[in-house]
Parts: sequence; C-alpha cells; structure tokens
Amino acid sequence: MRSHKQASRCREEQGQFVEEQASALQLLRRNWLMQSACGFAGVAATALGAGPAGAAETGFAAALSRPHHRPRAKRVIFLFMQGGVSQVDSFDYKPLLARRHGEEMEFDDARQLAKTGQRTRQRLMQSPWKFRPYGECGRMVSDLFPETARHVDDLCFLHGMHTEGVAHGPATLFLHCGATNFVRPSVGSWIYYGLGTENADLPGFVTIAPSLGNGGPRNYGAAFLPPRYQGTKIGSAGARQLTMAGLGETQTVGQTETVELLRALNVAQRRRRDPAVDEFDAALQSVDLAWRTQRVAPEILDLERETAATWRLYGMDDPHTRSFGEKCLLARRLCEQGVRFIQVNYGDNSANPAWDQHSNLPKHAEHARAVDRPIAGLLTDLKQRGLLDDTIVWWGGEFGRTPYSQDNGTGRDHNPGGFTVWLAGGGFKPGFAFGRTDEFGFQGIEGKVHMHDLHATLLYQLGLDHERLTYRYAGRDFRLTDVYGRVIKEVLA
Amino acid sequence: MMSPTFDLRTILLRLIGMVATCGWMSIAVGQAPSGVELFEARIRPALIEYCLDCHSTETEASGGLALDSRVGWQRGGDSGPAIRPGNLEDSLLWRAISYRDPHLQMPPDGKLPATVLRDFARWIEEGATDPRAMAKEPADRPSRGLPVERAAEHWAYRPLTRPQVPGGAANPIDAFVYAKLRELEIPAAGPAAPHVLVRRLYFDLTGLPPTPGEIRRGVAMISDGRIEELVDRLLASPRFGEHVGRRWLDVVRFAESITLRGFVLPEAWRYRDYVIEAFNEDRPFDVMICEQVAGDLMTATSVAQRQRQLIATALLAMGNTNLERQDKAQLEMDYIDEQLEVIGRAFLAQTLGCARCHDHKFDPIPTKDYYALAGILRSAVGLEHDNVSRWIERPLPLPPEEEQRYAELQERHDRLEQELKRLEKRLAAWGRPTTSSIDPATLAGVVVDSSQARLVGQWTASTFTKPFIADGYLHDGNAEKGRKTATFEPLGLRPGEYEVRLAYTAGSNRASRVPVRVFSANEQQTVYVDQRRPGAIGDLWVSLGEFFFEKDGLAYVMVSNEGTDGYVVVDAVQFLPVDRDEAAHGEAKGSGRTDSAQQQELASLTERQKVLQKELKELQNKLSSRPKCLTIEEKRPPQDIPIHIRGDVHNLGQTVPRGFLTALGPAQPQIPAHSSGRWELAQWIASEKNPLTARVYANRLWLWLIGSSLAGDPNNFGTTVEPPSHPELLDWLASQLVDHGWSTKWLVRQIVLSETYARSLQANTARTLEQDPANRFLWRANYKRLPVEAVRDAMLAVSGELDLTMYGSLIRPGTRADYNYVHEGTRRTVYHPVFRNALPPLLEAFDFADPSVSVGMRARSTVATQALVLLNDPWVHQRVEAAATRFHEQLGRQFGAGNNAAGHWVDAIYWHLLGRAPLEEESRVAVEFLTGGDRPMSKQRVQRLVHSLVASIDFRYLD
Repeated sequence: MRSHKQASRCREEQGQFVEEQASALQLLRRNWLMQSACGFAGVAATALGAGPAGAAETGFAAALSRPHHRPRAKRVIFLFMQGGVSQVDSFDYKPLLARRHGEEMEFDDARQLAKTGQRTRQRLMQSPWKFRPYGECGRMVSDLFPETARHVDDLCFLHGMHTEGVAHGPATLFLHCGATNFVRPSVGSWIYYGLGTENADLPGFVTIAPSLGNGGPRNYGAAFLPPRYQGTKIGSAGARQLTMAGLGETQTVGQTETVELLRALNVAQRRRRDPAVDEFDAALQSVDLAWRTQRVAPEILDLERETAATWRLYGMDDPHTRSFGEKCLLARRLCEQGVRFIQVNYGDNSANPAWDQHSNLPKHAEHARAVDRPIAGLLTDLKQRGLLDDTIVWWGGEFGRTPYSQDNGTGRDHNPGGFTVWLAGGGFKPGFAFGRTDEFGFQGIEGKVHMHDLHATLLYQLGLDHERLTYRYAGRDFRLTDVYGRVIKEVLA
Repeated sequence: MMSPTFDLRTILLRLIGMVATCGWMSIAVGQAPSGVELFEARIRPALIEYCLDCHSTETEASGGLALDSRVGWQRGGDSGPAIRPGNLEDSLLWRAISYRDPHLQMPPDGKLPATVLRDFARWIEEGATDPRAMAKEPADRPSRGLPVERAAEHWAYRPLTRPQVPGGAANPIDAFVYAKLRELEIPAAGPAAPHVLVRRLYFDLTGLPPTPGEIRRGVAMISDGRIEELVDRLLASPRFGEHVGRRWLDVVRFAESITLRGFVLPEAWRYRDYVIEAFNEDRPFDVMICEQVAGDLMTATSVAQRQRQLIATALLAMGNTNLERQDKAQLEMDYIDEQLEVIGRAFLAQTLGCARCHDHKFDPIPTKDYYALAGILRSAVGLEHDNVSRWIERPLPLPPEEEQRYAELQERHDRLEQELKRLEKRLAAWGRPTTSSIDPATLAGVVVDSSQARLVGQWTASTFTKPFIADGYLHDGNAEKGRKTATFEPLGLRPGEYEVRLAYTAGSNRASRVPVRVFSANEQQTVYVDQRRPGAIGDLWVSLGEFFFEKDGLAYVMVSNEGTDGYVVVDAVQFLPVDRDEAAHGEAKGSGRTDSAQQQELASLTERQKVLQKELKELQNKLSSRPKCLTIEEKRPPQDIPIHIRGDVHNLGQTVPRGFLTALGPAQPQIPAHSSGRWELAQWIASEKNPLTARVYANRLWLWLIGSSLAGDPNNFGTTVEPPSHPELLDWLASQLVDHGWSTKWLVRQIVLSETYARSLQANTARTLEQDPANRFLWRANYKRLPVEAVRDAMLAVSGELDLTMYGSLIRPGTRADYNYVHEGTRRTVYHPVFRNALPPLLEAFDFADPSVSVGMRARSTVATQALVLLNDPWVHQRVEAAATRFHEQLGRQFGAGNNAAGHWVDAIYWHLLGRAPLEEESRVAVEFLTGGDRPMSKQRVQRLVHSLVASIDFRYLD
C-alpha cells in the first residue's frame, strides 16, 4: 500500500511520461536479469517449455509491486456472448412465463423508457426450450446448453445482473470499460496494468476474434493507460484465421540476417548516446522481445500440436463447433502460458451481433450449438489440468433480453435491467446461484449485481482493490469502477 | 473499510432497535404502532439495515443525503429534502424505495420487503416522527479544491505579465534560460554540429528529412551566419503547415469516422485542409480560435472567408459521439460535454469535464460554471435525432452565379421527380412483359440491376437462363467461395419502409443457401436464398422482407458467395415502397394481356420514363457534387439551463445564467439577450486578457519545437500539475505572441533561432547529469522522437516515392464504414484518412494520438509491437525495397559495384537515411555486411541494410 501511494505521488509529480519510462525500465531490468541468468535463447525456451516463469509477486511490467491482498485467482478467461443471450431461455428458469404465455402486461421497457419515459404494454412469450435439472445442485438449464449444463456443479450463477446502455454500442462499452460514452481503459487493460503478465515473451491481455463493431478496438483499448496495456488482437470476428498483427509468418534466413544487422547497428547507435537515458536500452530490448515473440507465438497459435482427443473435447471435429472450439482451445493454450486476461469473443461485426434475436428467437439454438460443446470442453480441460483453481472463467453478454416478445413478434428486445452471467473457478462458490429476477425474469429484484460490482468482484479475486487500482490522468485518479462498485462477497468461496 | 467505531455503533443501534421492537410487540398486540413507537419499532431498524451503510454522516452520505438524523432527511441531499411529512407522493425517499421511478431506485441492490414498505408509507403519511436530533454536524468535508475567490493564488489564473528580460544573451529566450542555469550553477551544453542542426530544423519545421544536398547547403548557410535565411525558407514551405497542422489535429481529436458502426465523416477532411492552410498563411491564432468556436456566427467579406469559417466549426462536430444512445436528452448533454472537454483542453488547458457532476475537486471550477458554459453550447445543434442520430452536413456557400446554378438544378430535379413518380404509378398498373429480358424501367419502385452492382471478385455475365432483368445477370463461376460479393445500392432512396426483393435465375446447379445481407436503418439482417428453386414472386423474385431506410442511413443489399454450394446468381434488387396502394398495383402485374394500342402507350411511357430516369440521375450527380461541410447550426433560441445534479439529465437543479469561468476574474463579458453567447465565448477565449489562452498556445509551440512542456501538462494548467519551470519565460513567450498579432510563425522563428534550441545533446560533465537528469532547466537539447507521421514520410522520402500533392479527401469512394479499411498510397501521412476503427499498423504501433480525445502530448512508448511492425509490415517492406532499388542503381552508377566501393555506398546510405556519416564502427559493420563472403554487393544485401537502418533507433530520433 505504501509503495503504491508513493508510486502515485511520483506520477503526480512527474506526469505520465516518467511513469512510462519507469515501467519500461522495470521491464528492461527483469528481462536483463533473466537473460543474464540463462542467456537469450534460454528465455524463450523457459517460457515455452516450462510455462510461466516466476516473477516475484506480480508479473512482468506490473504497475504494482505486489497485489493489494492475497489473490484467489491469477487470470481470467472471458467468454463474451455478443448481442445478449436471453436469460429466460437459458439459465434463468421462469415457469410462470409458460403459464401466462401471450398475456399482455405493463412493463418498464428500457428502450421505450429511455425514449419516452413511459411504461408500455407488452406480450409475455414463453421459452421455446425445455428446462431440466442438472447436477448435484439440481439447477434448471434449458436445452440450449446441455453440455455446459453438465458442469453446473462448478458454476456460480449471478441472476440479478444489471447494467447500463440499452443499445449494443453503449452497453458493450460499459461491459468492457465501465463507461458508456467516455474513452476508458478496458477491464483487461486494468488487470494487465495492475498485475502485469506472467510471461515476458507474450502480451498480458489477448482478445480472440473481437468484433469491429459496437466500440470495436475501444473494448480492448488501454485509453489513457500506457499503450502497452492494450489488448493484443488475435484474429477478428468473421475472419477464419487466428493470426496476430505485425507478426511475420516465419523467421526466414534473410530476416534473421536483417535482425542481426539491426542489433549490431543499434548497439553502435546506443553508444553514441547518453548512457543514463534508459529509453534507448528499452528500444534495443524491444527488438529482442519482438524477435522472441515472433519465435514463440506461431507455436502457441499452432493448434495442430494438440491431440485428436483434445480436438474432440473442444468440438473441433464438428463443423458447427469447430470455429469456437479453436478459440477456446487457443484460450487454454494462452492461459497455460501465463497470459493474464484472455477474452474469447462469440460475435460478429454487424449492428445486430450474433445473439441479437429481435425476431426469430429460435436462432438462439444455432448460436448455442456453436458454443456449448467448446465451452464444456474448455471447463473440462481446465479442470483436468488443474488450471480451474486459479483461473476465473466468466461467461456472459452485454445485457439480457426481455421476457416479452418485441412488437408482439417472434423475438426479444434488449434488457439491461436483469440478466444472468456465470463464473467458474478462481475461488467463486461452485454450484451456487446468487440473486434473482422477478417472476417473469425481467428485472433483478434480489441480490442485484451491477456491472460495476462484477468488475469490482473480479478484481478482488485477482488480489486487486478496485478503489485503489487507480491511474492519474489529466489531473485526477481514474478507476475501472468510477465511483461505484461493491465486491459481492456472497459469491466468494 | 468501515472504521471500528462505526462497527460498534452499528451493533449498538441494532441492539437498541431490536430491544425496541421486542418491547413494542409485547405491549401492543393487535394495534399498529404509531409516532415514536412506529419509528423505534420499524423505521429505525429498517434505516439501519437498508440505508445507513451509504447514507450516514459516519460514512459517505451518498448523494449528499444522510438518513441518520431528522435534520439529515429534512435538509436532504443533492436533490432536495428526502421526506415531506404527511405527503407521501412528494417525498423523494418514497419515490426511491417504492421503485416506481426507473431513474431513482433505492436500495440499489433490490426492493425492500413489502411489509417494510408499508411501514415507511404509514410513517411518512403520519408525519414522519423522528426523535433523532442531529447526532453531530455532518463532518463538514472541506472542499479540497481551490475556491474561486482564491483562484489568483494559482499561477495560471493570474493576469499575463510582461517580465523584464535579464541581460547576458542576445535572444531573450536564452536570457531567461541562462539566468536560471546561472542561478542553479548548471553549465550549458555547447551548440550542436551544423549538420545535426539542419536535420533538426527540417524535421521540426517541415516533418521531412533533408536530402544530403540540402544538408550540405544548410551547413554552408549556418557557417556563413545565414541561419535566419534557412529558417525563413523552411517557414515559407507549404510543408510547414502540413507538419504543424498535424500537431494541432492531435489537440482537437481530428478524425474522419465514428467508432460505433464505423460511420465515415465524409466532409471532415475540409477541416484538416483548413488547419494546414491557416498555418501556412500564418493566420493570427486568435482569429483561428474565433473561427473554430464560432465561425458560423462571424461576418465575412468574401465567399472564401465564409466557407473557411463554416468549415472551421467542424471542431465542435468531430466528437466520437455515441449516436446510438437511446436517451436522447442524455446524448445531447454528452455531446455538449465532449465539446466542452475539447474547448477546455485545447484552448484553456482546463479539465472542464470534471465539473459536470460536482464542483471540480482541485481547480476553481464550480458546477455552475460548467452549466453556464453548457447553456451557451446548447443552442448549437450538432445532431439530428433518430434511432441512430446523425451529424450535420450543410452546403458550403458558393459564389452567387454558382448558387444560382444549383438552385436551378434543384428546381428542375424536383419537377422531373414529380413527373417520374406520376409516370411510375401508371406503369405499375401494366402487365409483365413476356420477352426474355425484362426492362427495369417497367418495374415499380427503385430497381438496381446487376450491371450497376459494386463487385468484389470475378463475376461472369450471362444470359443463358431466361428471363432476366435488363441485359443479363451475373454469376460467381462457383469458385473462390467467400471472396466475392455484389452490392446493390439504390441512389437517392427516399426514407421510408420498403419491401426488398432479389431477382435471380434459378437452376439445379445453383447454390441452395446464398447469404444476402440487407443493411437498413436499424439493423443488418442476413437472409438465405435457395437459388435452386424459382423465386416465389413470378418465378423470378424472392422477397427479402420489409425494411426501414433513413435519410443518409445505410441502404444497400450485399450478396455474398461465402459458404455456398453451387453457382451464386445476381440479377437485380428491387426496393418497393410499402405504400399499400402502390403495392396493390404491383400485385396486378403479370395478369391480363395487353392489346396493341396499349402496347404502344406502354412503349411511349417506358420511353419517357427512361429519359426521365437518365436525366434525374445526371441531376442528382450534379447536385450531390455540391461541396458540403461538417458543422453545427445555431438553431435553438438562447436559453439558460439548470444544473444537472450528478450529471443526470433527469435530476435537475437550479438554473444558471450563461457565462464563463468565474475563476478568471469578475470582469466577464455580457451576453446580449438575443445571443446564445457562443460568439462571446469565442471572443473571451481569444482575448489577450484571458490569462490562459496565450500561455497555453505559446507552451504548445514550445513543446512542439523543444520537446518538453514548460508547464506540467500542455492540456492541463490546473492546480494538480507541476508549475512552470520558467514562469517568466512562459509569460514572455505568451505576451510576445499577443504583441506580434498572435503570429505562430513569428514565435516559432524566435524559438528555433535561440541557442537553447540549437544546443547539443551531450552532457559536459557527469555532475550536470546528476543535477538535472530530466533536463528540466534546458541545459542541453532534449532527446526528441519523431512523430510517426515524420517516420512514415521519411520512408517515402528516402524511397523516392513521396507524393507532395496537397489537400483533398483520400477516402476511397464508396467507403461506407471504416472497418478493415486498407490504407494505401504515397501521399504525406497527414492526408491519409484518420479512421477511429482502422489506423494503419505503423501509426497504431508508434503512439499516434488517440483520435477520440484531445491529446496534448503523445505517449512515448517502447514496445515490441513497434519492432514487429517495422520488420514485418508489408507497407514498410515495399518502401525499403523501393529505396534499395534506388540506391543500388544510383550508387552503382556513381561509385561502381565493386567491393572496394562499399565504403562510399555506406556513407551515402547513412547520409540519406540518418543525415550523418557513419561512425567507424558502423561503417565497418555495414561494409562487412554488404561485401560478406567476397560476393559483389547484391541488391538484396543493400535492401537488408536499408531495412535495418529504417528499423534502427536513429531513424526515429533527432540528434
């Protein structure tokens, strides 16, 4: 705590620029230590072979020298269901909805309310899917997610979620950055900034196949945090290939020659300059790190190295589940390598992304089919590898959907007032459900958890106090949760 | 987080509450409690359990409301008294806990149990008896900020002084700097070598590297004592405005698209050109301020001036607005907030946004000042609302004869359009032709034929399967799945609801599931079409559904061959207005025969229709070529607005008169009744009496040239940042700027001609380094990094490909969204589109300013991605290859290609790329590389040497 205070005072006095340099130096020193210990080639080998190399309390390039308190989890995998999954068709069972199907009632429809301030009459719509009990806890899950349902005893449901933003753009930004309109750092950037990464050869925040729409890069942007904390994109929504930008295809002989010459010339140029200015050391080191990443990353991205059994586990043997299965498997590989925050996106670039069934609700089945087996596979795999203990798996969308049909049609509209997310591993209570919505599944009425609260709770499990993880920018301290957020202790194991 | 004393107190209170409850229950069976008993039995415990965690003087009194005493709720919070005893409906507390107001619901984590609610209702209705006197005065939290009346204690708010120039140096700038260095006993570094200074001047004033010839000539001029001539020549170059203008574009968050949905702002480039032109002309900065803040309200003496004034107002309209926000009242305030943020930071270096929800925590900016300013901007409308709101573009004023010409064109257009509409109604009633080719002119609505479609990939024309629309249809050759699209975009579609239909010629070899995407106002919907079956409508058409299209909104249909299992065919797309009458006519089609007289009439009608359509299209093209600009419109009547409590548009407080920052002194300009105050705001900012404006701008110029800011943060002169290292120098720069008519070039010239600017990087002694390692007192030159634009432009310069064409938009025609935009070309970087979702990898990696917020000083990061991009980016590869080809030819001609010439080659390449000769060590390494293995110097080796140097440290730093 004391050192953190000192650090922030230092920032206050010398501005962002110095802070940049300080952490660059920190990174440098650690790299240098590692290199002198085992030589350049050794670093890459350690990182790849033995997994995360131990950085003392937190990781490389961390802003904090140690977490605020003892962490329960080390990393996060966020399975983002873009467009908004309907809670009453998946995990929030509301038998009354079926009994009163077709009835007209008054609701505070969020969109109408924002536009007109009026309540409107809406027609209740039952779920087309059957619910069944699963697991020891007997939790009801719909037929949309039969595979995920097998893991209910490991899941912790938050049924009273609510958030801000009625449209996708604002709500998606709020989910990621805790603000609907202002340019703010993404949750992954905050965590990377606080804890650094466990693997010096890889970025600490990776987003797999992100959408270009609804805020696009802002959803994994560092905003005013130093740029290194922004998310690194692997692939993008709609693209088949899972590739990293800037990464060359292979290291050719010619390229090796260029890089070796570059190193030699850089060293000579470094000698011309003031030895006290460490920025130039960082420049030298950045070439080495780039070269290492180029050597390491293609191997991690190469899913062919996995066994046929693993492919089956993630549903990569089935054309319907292959695409999302690959992403989940890549997430597990990155997780093993010590990447701090990994987001796996299921979405697209359109204004009505993926799960956004304003009409044709049955299309939810198509999306559920694409993700269900891969998600179940990921949970199984993390568990059998012992990774689930200190990895938080977070599943959810930017909001939920209404229990009534839209314009009396065949779909459901957005619903930021009540929806479900689930968490697994990372010290959350397994086989547990917290909070509930009203009898129709519309608004959270008990155990309500605001998106700010969820952010605060995730940080808490990682050893971060959301009120103390701050960054001074333009004269004031900013945090992910603004001036809000409550750690939901009720769901912690 | 809670203090132990609070814990104790809570427990005690709870105990008392419980005792009271039990006590009461034992004595009053069957009778509901009232008065103090009701309070003690039901209300006090409920308050403790549900409310006091947040609403108590012991904790935070959230929203200013404390409920731990009677006085607390009587006084109330930010929104006023919480309870009106006896009046349930007027009691805010009741509104909150009853959960009936969606904007005010307490407690936030769920509604209270029904029994508790009933107790509260009865308690309030019966007069809200509360025995709790004020437990203690709420800890009068001292406002941490500097109060307005003491604003003058902070340097930035004090009037500008005209400090005495100390002796000891010819250039006053040096005099101030030397005085400080003498005082601190820090020795100054010597002057930089002439060739170093030439490179520095070229990059700092034009953003481009000098050629070896220019370096030679520059060095000669410096040695002859003609450095002023060199500086004047660079200041007169059009490259100056391009380079300095780009710095200003950072400050005003210039961009040509919006993040959400990737909307392109097609007219934003005019603002960029305005900036470049203004800096090249050395337009007084106070005039530039007025043009950018209130150009639309200024008078003009020429059409060109009027155009300029309107274009400049794009400053207010370029924000990265969340157009989708459904709460339009909130959206309006967010829009104004963004404008205030930019105006505050760019011109005044004040963080005005901090005062939106509460008085500024540090600076003397009360919330009422914020809403006084917001009230001014409220009259300037920048958005037209719809589900997705829209920015405003207006025609640029033109010379009278051109205005006249456009008016005539418009009038003719409207007339013909009327006629065409009437004609089409008649035609809609006619039967379907029986020929193999269907004339699109005979069809209702708007028809886009395959011949007008925008195609990606190879599509083949065919007439094999009949009938088809117009001259034939296109197919994808059943190849390259996922790589071909055909886009049908109707021109000038009127807003409204349309049924959209797709025509194709069916067949058994066709694809069974063709994805067709319809882009409309509210959504993007994919419909799958089975082309093996004939279309349901007349065997030719299939309906894609009904869609709503907005003015200037998305309106097109894209057919893709992604994932298809046969030939994909596109023939035409039809947009049928969903006007029930017309639809009925449409249905009548295809029925009945036509006799010859009718045939004749049909032929003549069709003929006329064709003529009309052709002419209308030409007219539309002419009309749409009329230049427009991105701007705001002073439309709403002047009006004061209320404070929005905690920034919430649904929670309004006291109305405040429009005005300016009260911290800058009691003498404020008056806003006349008929004026919104925006013109007065512009003048107030641009006034020489405003202590902030000149200081802020002079400091920016200093930063751009010297590489460090005199005062903490160029975008924030508030109380939290470091005070200036040289306050007298800053005031001298600012006051001289004003005295010299706010001339940018004058001040730039003073700075670059100083010894301070021309100093070397080298430390004289180790002690100096210890005394001032950060070079705060300017005893040597700063290590300046080139902005990424200069790095990119330098690559083009050395490869010989740089295209110095000025001005204009480089956005490829037909770009509807910025997603995945591929940046190409060899123009200067400043002219390339600044897309918020798609920046070129090089710009993204090298700290290009975030175009969504005002950036005063770019980040200075050193990350591995930078090296990766320099090594792998195809664009960089192309430049390196072109440069290598050029060197290989030229140097071969000049020095020969034998290995003994390698030293000359390396010398020449170093001068071109780094503006200096190689050191001995560098020369040795490079020569060895070029001639390694005794082979003659290959182009490949030259290319790798060039690549290494382009990726090396010196290529992106100034000595």
